[in-house]
Amino acid sequence: MLTRTSETLSDGTRIVDLVRPETREVELRVLSDREIYDLEMERVFGKTWLFLGHSSEIPSPGDFVMRDMGNDSVIVARDRAGEIHVSLNVCPHRGMRVCLADQGNTQVHKCVYHGWAFKPNGDFIGSPVAEEKMHGELTPKSELGLRKARVHIYAGLIFATWNIEGPSFDEFLGEMKWYYDMIFQRTEGGWEVLGPPQRFIVDANWKAAGEQSAADGFHTLTLHRWLDEMFGNGGSELTSTMYGVEVGSDHGHALRCQSLSKKFARAKDFDSGTMSIEERWNILPAPGCTTDMLDQVRSKLTPEQMEQLMTNPPQVGGMFPNVLLACIYAPQPDGRILGSMALHTYIPRGPDKLEFVNWVFAEKGTSEEDKQTMLRNTIFMLGTSGLVEQDDSDTWPHMTASARGAQGRKMTMKYQAINQLPPPANWRGPAIAYDGFTKDDTQWNWWMYWRELMSEPA
Amino acid sequence: MATAANDAIESKPATPERVPIGSPVYNRILEAYYDEAEILDELRYNEWIEWLAKDLRYTVPQRLTRLLADHDKSIDRSVMHYDENYGTMCARARRLRGNSAFAEDPPSRTRRLITNVRVQLTETEGEYRVLNYMLLTRSRFEQTRMHVLSGERRDRIRDLGGRFELVEREVIIDQSVLGMPNLAIFL
Repeated sequence: MLTRTSETLSDGTRIVDLVRPETREVELRVLSDREIYDLEMERVFGKTWLFLGHSSEIPSPGDFVMRDMGNDSVIVARDRAGEIHVSLNVCPHRGMRVCLADQGNTQVHKCVYHGWAFKPNGDFIGSPVAEEKMHGELTPKSELGLRKARVHIYAGLIFATWNIEGPSFDEFLGEMKWYYDMIFQRTEGGWEVLGPPQRFIVDANWKAAGEQSAADGFHTLTLHRWLDEMFGNGGSELTSTMYGVEVGSDHGHALRCQSLSKKFARAKDFDSGTMSIEERWNILPAPGCTTDMLDQVRSKLTPEQMEQLMTNPPQVGGMFPNVLLACIYAPQPDGRILGSMALHTYIPRGPDKLEFVNWVFAEKGTSEEDKQTMLRNTIFMLGTSGLVEQDDSDTWPHMTASARGAQGRKMTMKYQAINQLPPPANWRGPAIAYDGFTKDDTQWNWWMYWRELMSEPA
Repeated sequence: MATAANDAIESKPATPERVPIGSPVYNRILEAYYDEAEILDELRYNEWIEWLAKDLRYTVPQRLTRLLADHDKSIDRSVMHYDENYGTMCARARRLRGNSAFAEDPPSRTRRLITNVRVQLTETEGEYRVLNYMLLTRSRFEQTRMHVLSGERRDRIRDLGGRFELVEREVIIDQSVLGMPNLAIFL
């Protein structure tokens, strides 16, 4: 009988062979194998930075939300000093879940089983009947706190990792930060959450959703073709929006920067070099921004980023391993174009199950009326009842079911649409930029980073 | 410790006047509800749209798991599952009737079981508040495990003489994490 080493599965398959660079294929069994899933919990979700929520969800001292890092529940809490902490939601005494509510406010997280109590930062306060020493003397009180994750707040977004000595968050984002800053760090107030996230279960492996978030453009043309059928002019408007520049990194992050001049008639001269930033901004501000925000955005971004925002703004994509990002234009009946801004995480709930978590945002400086309009637009298009994403969530379960078949699991997913063009001319941004029509390269980078992490012992 | 929950119950307005079960108005309303369930289960979206008022407000708030002391906050009306008006409902129905609404093509097989129907008079002549329980079963493809969604629908309907129309619906669902992969169906 074969035993598992760090490089091979128990059937002898080398993990690196699941992803085949020479033909750009991924074995379909990765969407169903329990062994691969268990390894992912250590090597992917135990190693990378994970998105957990937004600081505007817990604005006051003592506020907390219950969230997930991989298949572990965590408490995300703000302490008296205003600092945000992330602690494993497992009592060090007997393993009971300490926090039982989705959200709330408390200075003392007390386990209902034996009464061990913890501060919002996870520190152990004590156990009942102090003189009888329920927690004993073998382990010092300083070591009886909740297990603490390493936290990083980026533009209000809360990230955490179990990789305490690993790469910094900035190293994790790498050169892609230049693009994410154009979305998350472009105004003084930054993003603000509009309510608790929608949550629902999809009977699919988390990677079916995760790899799509690494900027799969092609599926839009078929799975979401109703957009053309309902809102188009009988032509192929969707096809034209597949032109632009896709950016990605060797950490699997990806964003699709769509060409405004190809997407909107009102922006047809945006690339001509004859229009000022103001002129263009007043015709079409960045998605999710209103025209009055120009001065703020200018002071937060470099001239190169401003020019990028007015020609090829990043709109959809993701962050490795399980985040989808949407910052898209939402045309209104009155001719205005507002934005729809959302983040999703795909929480692994087993090899064949994920929880879809959908946060909706607006820039803090947006008027209350526009916020409500943006919220309703986003509910209409994304998440639980969203007309776009309801089709995605009905697709991933079939891929996962295919991967369970004795023959199906031996099939491969193919990423053979390879960009052959030279890098875009006069491109201002860093990272790897792919010019022209959407291709599979950024998704392939996602798999290559998954392969790299999965091949390294935890 | 149940003070907050008790307060929430006590702060409800005095019981409005009920339309007795079995009275002619009640029976007409009940028929309308059975008909609506059949129309939706049979995918007759055009007919369903006819039952919606032009000033419709249709919402499905989120449910949160909160401690008993915060139980009144377990219904969240910010980021909801549905937040619709007549126009957006027409657009949703139009998509479902088109060629490419893959979330419901092939369609789910559904049953909407409507029970515990209570009818109240409102301050507006000819408008009734209709509280009812819903148990929705949904089967897709070869799945043998039914998706089930239970909830209370808090409706307001308008009597147009020969028929009723739906003016307001708020569905209070019982799951904080929905067990089905989307709401491509109407509740």
